[in-house]
Amino acid sequence: MSDRTLRIAAGLVALAGIGIATYLTWVHYDESALVCVAGGGCETVQRSIYAEIVGIPIALLGVISYAAILVLILWDAPYARLGAAMLALVGLAFSAYLVVLQLFVIDATCVWCLANDVLIAPALALLTALRLRT
Amino acid sequence: MAGPSQRRTDRPSRTAVGIAFGIAIAAAVALVAVAVISRSDSSSVPPNPNPVVDLAGIPQSGRVLGSPAAKVMLIEYADPQCPACRLYTEDFFPTLVRQYVRPGKVKTEFRGFPFIGEDSVKGYRFLLAAGEQDKLWNLAEALYRNQGAENGGWVTDDLIRGLASQIPGLDVDKLFADAGRADIVQQAEGAEAAGTAAGLTQTPTFVIAVGKKQPYQVQFGSVEQMRAALDDALSN
Repeated sequence: MSDRTLRIAAGLVALAGIGIATYLTWVHYDESALVCVAGGGCETVQRSIYAEIVGIPIALLGVISYAAILVLILWDAPYARLGAAMLALVGLAFSAYLVVLQLFVIDATCVWCLANDVLIAPALALLTALRLRT
Repeated sequence: MAGPSQRRTDRPSRTAVGIAFGIAIAAAVALVAVAVISRSDSSSVPPNPNPVVDLAGIPQSGRVLGSPAAKVMLIEYADPQCPACRLYTEDFFPTLVRQYVRPGKVKTEFRGFPFIGEDSVKGYRFLLAAGEQDKLWNLAEALYRNQGAENGGWVTDDLIRGLASQIPGLDVDKLFADAGRADIVQQAEGAEAAGTAAGLTQTPTFVIAVGKKQPYQVQFGSVEQMRAALDDALSN
């Protein structure tokens, strides 16, 4: 697989991450989504006390992180590749924590949240492959 | 785009990669630690003593707040742990009370749908017990104002005792005795199944009842929408 293909694939994953995290940020702030759904749901998770870190919505951190990864992919310097891979590594570790929270603490799973958490894994794989080719 | 030869010359050294990896691991650990610590801090915050709205002088009877003669009834199905129910209490309930309940136009009834977890059921037991002394709405407001992390064991006896002792006219010892009564325990523990059987899927769910007309469900996205729904019910 060529560098270009890897970069395009990683860029698409980052764009998907930005899209989902933007939607979740909107849900977090949207008053019309003022419900907790039985059996779980994005509204429950996004209204949860776990949905923020020191007042900053986690979904917004996701938007910023995926956007930073996308910028680093576009930059494509050796240190940018290293930075993108390390950012994805941090994202993967934190996503694992968020998945555990949803499954075992909040007891409500949000499909979009899980999608966003899982998406970081292929992002890390692609960015690591790119980094190793540097 | 950087060319292959440039990549070779700019390639990060093993030391740089090692340092970056270390920083990434440290950042991940720090992020999770901040998340855990900030949550612990928020759950150990002392009770907020300021009610979002003054309920003094408004008639209460069991689950119902407001004048028995009020034409319109707003029924709220809620879970004490539901963050959206807390937002409703903080952002919508004060307007409901000041503009509709206190003037005697609307009465509102609390019906529990405690589906989130054990803290939900325990909280609802105490709300029902407070209803025995016609103070359900005071305790509900206080509980939402001091809501903790879902299923974090935040509905403690100490929290309830602390909040209840600040509600004028509420006998705290009787509250605890009633909360342990078999009929109240049974009602609280059976409320989720009853709500599910009735078709409830989310909280808060609102139903408007006007006299003997067929009650109907409404959903509010803003205080203005709530006022429009109540004004519409009052005009019928």
